[in-house]
Amino acid sequence: MTDASRSPEPMIRLESLTKRYPGQAVPAVDGITLDIPKGEIVVLVGPSGCGKTTVLKMINRLIEPTSGRVLIGGEDVTRADADELRRHIGYVIQQIGLFPHMTVAENVGMVPKLLRWEKQRIAARVDELLELVGLDPAEYRDRYPKELSGGQRQRVGVARALGADPPVMLMDEPFGAIDPITRDRLQNEFLRIQADVRKTIVFVTHDIDEAIKMGDRIAILREQSHIAQYDTPEAILTAPADGFVEDFIGAGAALKRLNLTRVREVPLDHWPAASVHEDRARLRRLLAESEQGSLLLLDEEDRPLRWVTARDLAREREPLHRVGLPATAVVEPHATLHDALDEMVTSTVGCAIVVDRRGRYQGVVDLGTVTSAIDEMRSDVRRRDRAVAEAEAAPGDAVGEVG
Amino acid sequence: MTAPTVDRGGDVAGAGDALAAEELVEELGGPSPLWRWVGTPVVLAGVCAALYVYVQGQDLDRIEEAALNAPMIRQRVLEHLELTAVSTFFVIVIAVPLGMLVTRPATRRLAPAVLAVANVGQSIPSIGILVLLAVVVGIGFEQAITALVLYAVLPVLRNTMVGLDQVDRSLIEAGRGMGMTARQVLLRIELPLAVPVMLAGIRTALVINVGTAALATFIGAGGLGWIINQGNIHDRTPVLVTGSVLTAVVALALDWIAGIVEDLLRPKGT
Repeated sequence: MTDASRSPEPMIRLESLTKRYPGQAVPAVDGITLDIPKGEIVVLVGPSGCGKTTVLKMINRLIEPTSGRVLIGGEDVTRADADELRRHIGYVIQQIGLFPHMTVAENVGMVPKLLRWEKQRIAARVDELLELVGLDPAEYRDRYPKELSGGQRQRVGVARALGADPPVMLMDEPFGAIDPITRDRLQNEFLRIQADVRKTIVFVTHDIDEAIKMGDRIAILREQSHIAQYDTPEAILTAPADGFVEDFIGAGAALKRLNLTRVREVPLDHWPAASVHEDRARLRRLLAESEQGSLLLLDEEDRPLRWVTARDLAREREPLHRVGLPATAVVEPHATLHDALDEMVTSTVGCAIVVDRRGRYQGVVDLGTVTSAIDEMRSDVRRRDRAVAEAEAAPGDAVGEVG
Repeated sequence: MTAPTVDRGGDVAGAGDALAAEELVEELGGPSPLWRWVGTPVVLAGVCAALYVYVQGQDLDRIEEAALNAPMIRQRVLEHLELTAVSTFFVIVIAVPLGMLVTRPATRRLAPAVLAVANVGQSIPSIGILVLLAVVVGIGFEQAITALVLYAVLPVLRNTMVGLDQVDRSLIEAGRGMGMTARQVLLRIELPLAVPVMLAGIRTALVINVGTAALATFIGAGGLGWIINQGNIHDRTPVLVTGSVLTAVVALALDWIAGIVEDLLRPKGT
């Protein structure tokens, strides 16, 4: 069976959850059974019309199941007071749904208000949440949603869903309506927040790449929400259960696996780097001693500034912060190797600079790092394939349908 | 629209969607609030002054004097305002809750029937309703009010329905999804956001009522229609003109007040 059923106590358990609409021959969701472990992001992914959103909405009972049960923290919530239940489940939708006639603070403080928290406690919580999602409370608290950019609205939406610190969050294509560049940044930010808050999250998307990036586990659904495969992204990419999953993953599974490794997980290379305020003689010596053809200059706070070569250093009349090339292709440790590779190929120097959350230089990732990561994956795949072949030879399926 | 003074970042224009369009309409839609707030009373005061000068310049006979004296004009204006205010009050009390009712999921299927009835109310000419009521239940203030209400329910009902229906479904889903009850969603989300459209309907009803109240004189309920009618039956132009102009001034003044209320009650942030 799958990893999920081995974990001792799932935060959310779906038991033969079914939704049948009157007048329709087949159920929209046909008896899905799924365990969602505590503190993980489980992504429901599948083609449109597979019922993934219906499954999600049955968890907070925006859609009432026809039969089956939902257990949250071991408690059957299918009979509980639905409004009260929803106040303890964060909910983020694609359209975000910020209330346009309320300020950011009123939006974010809505659930605490519904729970009758004291005013001061709500205000403190709002500021805390805005800070968590990277919006300065003093600046944004009193704005109206129309005075925010799409990305900022999305962050407020996430802050609002975290309002009363719910243990569980449901997210329905939360980044679906955002441009690709902002989406990527918001996804990374969200993963950073999740690393702090460790919520149990059910995340719906139709985008397999997003599923791979966001999910601790992925449930690939086919029509009527039958589970085609429920496993970790690594396992799904390495050993797709069947042709449907293979088709759904699409081409380039190996390249997609670059999304699974984060920069912080690979050894960084060290590039000669020095402060822009060093004197030129020392910089020249540093460059000569290294094997590289260029030197990375950093500002007072150790942030990457310029790439300079020996020839740039020789131009004595130009100030150092103006010679050479700007230090682009900067990634943070939580970026994936895919992000890093992307930056690398567009960078002039052929490597991506890694900085910490404050922007301070940490090291670099180059093509060699990526190649060895790919090599490692290849051997993983081979090992895994062998295991699958053995399992198939034996009776019983290693990664069969759950339920 | 208040333009935020702070830099809002690059993608605001693209994300503005419907709101941007609304802003555009507002910008194209003529005068600034200041001009709308101050301009109308200035013009109306000018019209009244001109009317006064015109009437003073006439040599009034006894019939004209009976209609055109201060106590009589004051009485007819007050009657007219009362007819308008009371009928509009009942229109709101009937049409707004009805509009809320027929936009709730459980009772939505009643909407076509309710709209059909309201349509009949408006498509029968109001003079017809007045005469019918006079024949059936006699003449007087209550009958006049009944006729006015029947006639003006439709715009308020329809705008309440439209106003509530145009509230973005995703806001309702977000509200329910975070644990607001259906009632809380109605009171805190749907109604505040429907206010501008609802007020536009109420304003229309108000203007309809001011106009139709001029007919109330035919069933003995007075109002400025009485002055117009006196001018008509006695063939006295100054009386006719005074009655007509005052009716128009009252209508425009009420519309002006309604416009200010609309501006003030528009939900912030939209």
